[in-house]
Amino acid sequence: MLLPRFEYHEPTTLEEALKLLSELGGNAKVLAGGTDLLVRMKQKIDRPAHVISVARIPGLNEIVPRNGHGISVGAAATAASLSRHELLWDRFTPLATAASRLGSPLVRNRATIGGNLVNARPAADMPPACMVLDATVKLKSRSNERDVPIGEFFRGPGETVMEPNELMVSINMQTPAPWTGGAYIKLASRKTLEISLVNVAALLTLQSPDGPIVDAKIALGAVAPMPVRAYAAEEVLIASQPSEALFQKAGQTGVGMCSPITDHRGTMEYRCMMIEVLTKRCLSMALESARSWKPLR
Amino acid sequence: MKRIIQLTVNGEQAEVAVTPNRTLLQVLREDLGLTGAKHGCGLGDCGACTVILDGKPVNSCLVLAVQANGSEVLTIEGLAENGKLHPLQQAFVEKGAIQCGFCSPGMILSAKALLDENPKPTEHEIRMAISGNLCRCTGYQKIVEAVQAAADSKALQGGDS
Repeated sequence: MLLPRFEYHEPTTLEEALKLLSELGGNAKVLAGGTDLLVRMKQKIDRPAHVISVARIPGLNEIVPRNGHGISVGAAATAASLSRHELLWDRFTPLATAASRLGSPLVRNRATIGGNLVNARPAADMPPACMVLDATVKLKSRSNERDVPIGEFFRGPGETVMEPNELMVSINMQTPAPWTGGAYIKLASRKTLEISLVNVAALLTLQSPDGPIVDAKIALGAVAPMPVRAYAAEEVLIASQPSEALFQKAGQTGVGMCSPITDHRGTMEYRCMMIEVLTKRCLSMALESARSWKPLR
Repeated sequence: MKRIIQLTVNGEQAEVAVTPNRTLLQVLREDLGLTGAKHGCGLGDCGACTVILDGKPVNSCLVLAVQANGSEVLTIEGLAENGKLHPLQQAFVEKGAIQCGFCSPGMILSAKALLDENPKPTEHEIRMAISGNLCRCTGYQKIVEAVQAAADSKALQGGDS
């Protein structure tokens, strides 16, 4: 399959990249891993006149812990690097898990978290994980910088609040409170190289290992035009003692927040059934993780 | 406008003039004559184009050649040394892991990347590592056995790969 022609730019600094974006804006696409953009270009869905690679911008692919208070993930960090990061697995489990389930090992060596978020596919793996972790994304343009909470970032399938002259530079999260645990489940016909039928991320914070739930976050993908936070399901859990019955109730409530479609991967009815089952299962996994919370060395 | 790129392929310096819209796969096959990497789907879904780029196995159909400027590339042609097959290649032959052979270069390189990092993988780890490489012929069983055999073989336990 052939790529259409384009002008290629390889800025070596962030400033240079932002200058290019301010000049070329709507006629340019940013190239990170290429596992989405180059596919779309080969399929002639995207035909940008200009392609701006971010591969040579120093620091954009780094994962930087912030003194126990949080973590800053460079937008060009690959899914592979996220899936191998010890702190992410320990304290930001849904994101590390989601990264490990994206595409295939080969794709993960190129695909980036920035690309996964900016492309904003409804079934993408990383958005629900970022949502339960209350991530904010840092967007920069030549003249401006803003931090957007991930819950306000998506507009629809393939659409975000980003302007054509903006670049996502980092995804920032605060370390969750003690006795917090999280999980991510991806349901798909194959174990690999597949787009989710339903995916769900959950984060639970307990008052103490045997205590009630003080905070709960649930986010679902592939069940609506954008990833959704299942707020009503979360409310079911707050201040309650965790139990299978409680998680069952949360799962049932979660279905009401979703509007899945029928497509070649599955019917709406099946997806609704799976939202219930997988929400419950994800909450159980998050609970187990929360109960085994340990302070870092 | 063509750009001159320089990359190290199988240990040798290569210099090629490429337009930006050429992929690494195209340049390896068409400019450098290294046809071991195959064009399967062109979309990163089959792994037939797998090469090892700066130590990591990737779908070369989704890497622009210009992005590989300054990089090191290992293709299947770079595995055998002085005419002697790499233990993985030998194991694939001995275990019957090659039928039509189309997936084999990519499959072997994904396996090599695994063993470089994890010399004693479990069966599950092997299957996960090759999960980006599709095979229509073998059903994967012999491939997994070959990777296991290569991992167990004395040649690899010696520490050289």
